Amino acid sequence: MKTIKQASRELPYLGFGLGLRVDHYEALLDEPGQVEWLEIVSENYLVPGGRPLRWLERFRERFPLVMHGVSMSIGGTDPLDLDYLDQLAALARHVQPAWISDHLCWTGVAGVNLHDLMPLPYTEEALAHVVDRVRRVQDRLGRRILLENVSSYISFAQSQLTEWEFLAAVAERADSLILLDINNVHVSAHNHGFSALDYLDGLPPARVQQFHLAGHEQGGALLIDTHDAPVVDAVWDLYLEAVRRFGRVSTMIERDDHIPPLAELRAELDHARMLADALLQEAA
Amino acid sequence: MSDLRGLQLQLADALRASAAPRIASLRGDGVADEASRLAVYHHGYRLRLREALAVEFPGLSLLAGRRFAELLDGYVAAHPSTHFNIRWHGAGLAAFLAATPSWRDRPELAEAAGLDWAISIAFDAADQAPIDADALAHMAPDAWAAMRLHLLPHARLLRVTCNVDAFRRAADRGTPRPTLRRLAQARHLLVWRPALDVRYRTVAADELAALQGVLDGACFGTLCERAAERHGAAAALPRMAALLGRWLDDGLIGRIDAP
Repeated sequence: MKTIKQASRELPYLGFGLGLRVDHYEALLDEPGQVEWLEIVSENYLVPGGRPLRWLERFRERFPLVMHGVSMSIGGTDPLDLDYLDQLAALARHVQPAWISDHLCWTGVAGVNLHDLMPLPYTEEALAHVVDRVRRVQDRLGRRILLENVSSYISFAQSQLTEWEFLAAVAERADSLILLDINNVHVSAHNHGFSALDYLDGLPPARVQQFHLAGHEQGGALLIDTHDAPVVDAVWDLYLEAVRRFGRVSTMIERDDHIPPLAELRAELDHARMLADALLQEAA
Repeated sequence: MSDLRGLQLQLADALRASAAPRIASLRGDGVADEASRLAVYHHGYRLRLREALAVEFPGLSLLAGRRFAELLDGYVAAHPSTHFNIRWHGAGLAAFLAATPSWRDRPELAEAAGLDWAISIAFDAADQAPIDADALAHMAPDAWAAMRLHLLPHARLLRVTCNVDAFRRAADRGTPRPTLRRLAQARHLLVWRPALDVRYRTVAADELAALQGVLDGACFGTLCERAAERHGAAAALPRMAALLGRWLDDGLIGRIDAP
């Protein structure tokens, strides 16, 4: 058995967590089980007051939190939304998250928000553009950010790099970190016909700070990243491959639709913990 | 213009077009051709906005029934989202329904959208605790006439000509769809959030006049004088005292300025 090298990381290891969803508010406070941390969707709490912030306060007292956004549009070509970034920074001052993440994508152009995680062409031009924006965002927020690989359904003739080369290069050149969504690697590998293992092999281990696990659905010939179903066996297998390469990494399950009772997600999270622990113990 | 920006503009236009055009730089392969790949985003754009707006407009959804999706698609086509929070795309829906030829002949739709949106805005408006009757206990009797009441800042008055509040109530409670009724006379709904739960109720004609006076900055003495014109001198003061008591019980008053 090959030993698993644990990469050295500056940010803390949080264990196994869940994405915080309204459906589970009460259950998480009453019976958190072994849910060790929570990821909040930042935009849900960028509000002046009311019930959302009251709930957030209760979770902040009980769990380590991380902030995950969908609106940074780090690959966008409109100017960075400084008002959004300042709201994010203010929320972070209050929440004191272990880290802040968003997606390696663009979400709109010319003032129009598409509210989708649009993929980039993997070109040198796009790389330089994104690296510059990540640096400016990190300066504004006063901390390094994590960027997540998105599921994608289109690819571009002008791409010069693979997706994982692009993701790794952004992290290295901008000195940012990676939120590796294992399901998204699987979905995009299927949709674009690349090797998911090549993807994992191409990432710098010390920059991988967090894993996402989620479900997807088959939409005709393509896999669609829906976050509305349990994690499938192929993604569990890929998760083990990720643990083999990156060691112990804070891991969480994302469910955005068809949200089951908390006990079901806790069981899924326990499965992730069991798989990772067994592999790491065996390797040790 | 950079190649990257040109590509993004091209894709955004394609997603917003009723039928997505071909984009030369997209690649198809043995898994799927480029048109079906782009269709995932084209379909997702409308679906995502529709789903987000459905959450914000449950009363309108129940009222519009099978035409709700058509109504939202018309709005999305005419008004692209410009805010990072998808929910804020709902801000212009009531005005769209009130002004667009295919919908404006059904005023209940714009009214229902207005009520849903007022509730949505109040839900997470800035926290401000309402004052209670104790705040008046220490006020000198001769200060009452000059005091000015301030409603909670998010409180809204909405004019309606139909029973749209019944649709919102049914949507929230999961009860059967009510029958649409056009009112013999327009009335006003008050929407506010005294603590964490948003409330709404009908206001009587004289209460509306008094509330509008409060919003215009009239002092309590002026409100009483106006009530006297409506009710007569003897009945005005008891009526204003009753309204003030109700506003305090409702948790509607955010502040009182007294000289």
